Amino acid sequence: MTLLDTPRKHGDASDGGAIGARLSRLDGKLKITGAATYALEQPVDGLAYAVLVPATIGAGRVARIDVAAAKAAPGVRLILTPDDDLGLQPATDWNNVRASDGPYVPLPRDIAYNGQPVALVVADSLEQATEAARRLAIAYEEGPVTPGLDSPNAGEGSPLDQLSVAWGDAEAALAAAPVRVEAEYHTPREYHAAMEPHGLIARWEGDRLTVWEPSQWTHSMARSYAEWFGLPPENVRLVSPFVGGGFGSKGFSYGFGAIAAAAARRLGRPVKLAVTRPQNFAAYGGRAATRQSLALGATEDGVLQAIVLRGASETSTVGTWVEQVGAATPLMYAVPNFSARQRLVAVNTVTPGALRAPGKTPSAFAIESAIDELACAVGADPLEIRLRNYAEEDPQARKPWSTRRMREALAEGAEAFGWARRSREPRSMRDGHQLIGWGLATGTFPVIRNYGEALVRILADGSAEVVTGATDIGQGTYTILAQTAAEALGIPFERIDVRLGDSALPGAPVAGGSKLAGVMTGAVQKAAIAARDELIALALNDPNSPFRDTGANTLILADGRISAPRGDGPVVSVGELLGRIGRERIEVRRDTLPDHLQTPEGRFRAWTTMTTVQGPTAGDYSMHSWCAHFVEVRVDEDFGTIRVARMVSAFDCGRLYNPKLAESQWKGGIIMGIGMALLEEGLVDSRNGRVINNNLGDYLLPTNADVPDIRVIDVGIPDPHASALGGKGVGEVGIVGVAPAIANAVFHATGRRVRRLPITLDALV
Amino acid sequence: MSSPRTIRFTLNGEPVSATIMPHETLVDVLQHRFDLRGARESCGQGLCGCCTVHVDGKPVSGCLFLAVFADGARVDTVEGLARGDALDPVQEAFIEAGAFQCGFCTPGFVMMVKQLLKEHPEPTDEEVRHYLTGNLCRCSAYPEILDAVKLASARQAEAARRA
Repeated sequence: MTLLDTPRKHGDASDGGAIGARLSRLDGKLKITGAATYALEQPVDGLAYAVLVPATIGAGRVARIDVAAAKAAPGVRLILTPDDDLGLQPATDWNNVRASDGPYVPLPRDIAYNGQPVALVVADSLEQATEAARRLAIAYEEGPVTPGLDSPNAGEGSPLDQLSVAWGDAEAALAAAPVRVEAEYHTPREYHAAMEPHGLIARWEGDRLTVWEPSQWTHSMARSYAEWFGLPPENVRLVSPFVGGGFGSKGFSYGFGAIAAAAARRLGRPVKLAVTRPQNFAAYGGRAATRQSLALGATEDGVLQAIVLRGASETSTVGTWVEQVGAATPLMYAVPNFSARQRLVAVNTVTPGALRAPGKTPSAFAIESAIDELACAVGADPLEIRLRNYAEEDPQARKPWSTRRMREALAEGAEAFGWARRSREPRSMRDGHQLIGWGLATGTFPVIRNYGEALVRILADGSAEVVTGATDIGQGTYTILAQTAAEALGIPFERIDVRLGDSALPGAPVAGGSKLAGVMTGAVQKAAIAARDELIALALNDPNSPFRDTGANTLILADGRISAPRGDGPVVSVGELLGRIGRERIEVRRDTLPDHLQTPEGRFRAWTTMTTVQGPTAGDYSMHSWCAHFVEVRVDEDFGTIRVARMVSAFDCGRLYNPKLAESQWKGGIIMGIGMALLEEGLVDSRNGRVINNNLGDYLLPTNADVPDIRVIDVGIPDPHASALGGKGVGEVGIVGVAPAIANAVFHATGRRVRRLPITLDALV
Repeated sequence: MSSPRTIRFTLNGEPVSATIMPHETLVDVLQHRFDLRGARESCGQGLCGCCTVHVDGKPVSGCLFLAVFADGARVDTVEGLARGDALDPVQEAFIEAGAFQCGFCTPGFVMMVKQLLKEHPEPTDEEVRHYLTGNLCRCSAYPEILDAVKLASARQAEAARRA
């Protein structure tokens, strides 16, 4: 019997297997005792310490850097400036495109944003490097600065025609609609602010480079280093067994990494670069600021006739990042006429990047606020209007949903929240001086599929190991891969070890796009079943096996023991069997790649680029995770202070591999959404484009005291189209829709519609 | 000019000494001289709590606390909580409640919760939320951290009743 013959799994504890069980983290003890070693804590002998020097102007060029005083400072070993040729070549991007017009210059003379690295100082100690960096005399030629998306000189940007979506005749239908709501919605720059700052240790041994750097994608980041330095891929190893939060920021190598590794090569000595907390606001990009003009046309009953979206987002002057403001807009509601266009505006910022649910998050803020405005305009309940416009299929792709339990999410969320007791009128619920508002919004995140590779070892002591280069950034990869192997192998969870986070290990995609769990559980299951089949074949056929003469044609592997399916034969432990047949281990490596990628080039491309990714509508279905958030806010009538008092959120993420970990992901996303709604905003000095709140005191993150009671409800069912084991994405969908739910609740409490995040008290008094 | 000096202190119950520079912070000394990496610098401003350790029984931000001030003191870190394989009840409660994801901030939270339960053995939800506001968790395992504190508190009370 193999796993494939076992009864259908429902994804909860009723299955009785390891998958779906509420198990505690495999890596829990290491983390709780301080023994988990993050990248910069790696003990490496002979380290030199590097300090990155950021530009203090927003645009222009470095005229000259006088390094004499810095060089004379104690302990200084190396100073790199735009005067140094680092000899680097461009790296391939995630589309598998490699610029041919090299070299790659991570310390350019031209300044495109405030905080751009202009020098690296390396010394025997961090203090010496810091002091020497202070002694650099940097002369700039300043140019005109465009500090942000809404700056007067930012302009309208350029159209992104490839993102235009249209069906029907949206403009005409909007003009003809009896009810129209039209408004402009804004979201600011937001930052990952992972508790573990970025940085790396780079060590060269001849032409081999080892990089310890926090990573969501070891293989791709290792490839970047190899290409920068013109090395064969196997000469670079990127190691990242534990990652102190990523949220999208740790999927790629950045310029500071290239500079530090170049310094290490030049010095012939390992170099450690800890990017300081303030530098973490400019060394890599956060979420781009966005602006959306959104118009809904509807019947007097609130049935949508047209949606017209005109959006814009910012990027840098040196790179392209598109925060896709129309990512959720066409998916949420049935609408016969639709038009979305987006423009991209280049400003003087570091190139923005992926932050938890990129695109979907600002997109949902606009559409889910607007639908609430429509509900008010036609006198409908916000829940009712969502049912009236329920999308029975993907309105854009015109494909059936694989699974869409949005009705169940709305119903069960409303029931748990007590939504039926809501009074319709704004400002109609209060508790003394506190205005009470109840708001609702929904969210979505696509199912993204890709391929993975894993190695499974059954060891002589009856335990097993799972090995892959995928990473665990806190979402629980260690745990769910052990659960998957335990169930497939019939070996207890406690006897499975998992090794992750090293580009020298089998291939895996980025821990991003909420796809790693679906991809890697599939790969581990495949490898584990193959290992199990090999073990059973040996048990049936090996001359020294006690099962040789039982006449059984298959065997059962459960609780670490092997037995014949019907009854009275021998029962031996896995370890004992391996001992009897004289095997040290069984080792199987499997991948889930299709035939056309089973080449060295195909494999390399699959593990290091996004070109093998399949989007949510690549097959016959449209596949997404869904959620509905119900929020109670309390607003002080006199001071305008806003507190989220309680939340209920219902999720359809397909089958959950570990509800304890999945619920934690949902709650974490929800709380990041509370930050987005009420706290988080990168403030830019309009004179010089500098992010001025570039620290954890001024860039406000949610704390324990900001967090209400949050109840999460699972309404998902296994989705056989979404992944091998039936799960959809979990990590990102939780943040999507939280900000509009809170904004809608604030409107219900106060009668004020706030369309610019974050919602602060000045908007309410 | 500053010059090295030797400090002696009790680290997780063991007498130790280190020759350090006066500007070195306690978290640096713990990380680099004693290979104790649970207390970590994240914000560098004493705002996030990732570097929380106890000095003479009181939590301090190790990224701001100069190591020279630990001279003669008792310093306790997350690494000193477990007794062999037996975790501290707060550590056990954190694992059971699922009170962390990436784990980077977790040792700081655990040390702060030790102090919280010393001062408020049976804290209310609001007491927990406000007491722990100086510790940031960007994964935002805050609800589970609250659960963990309540769990540890209940077990502590149960143990006290039995004793």
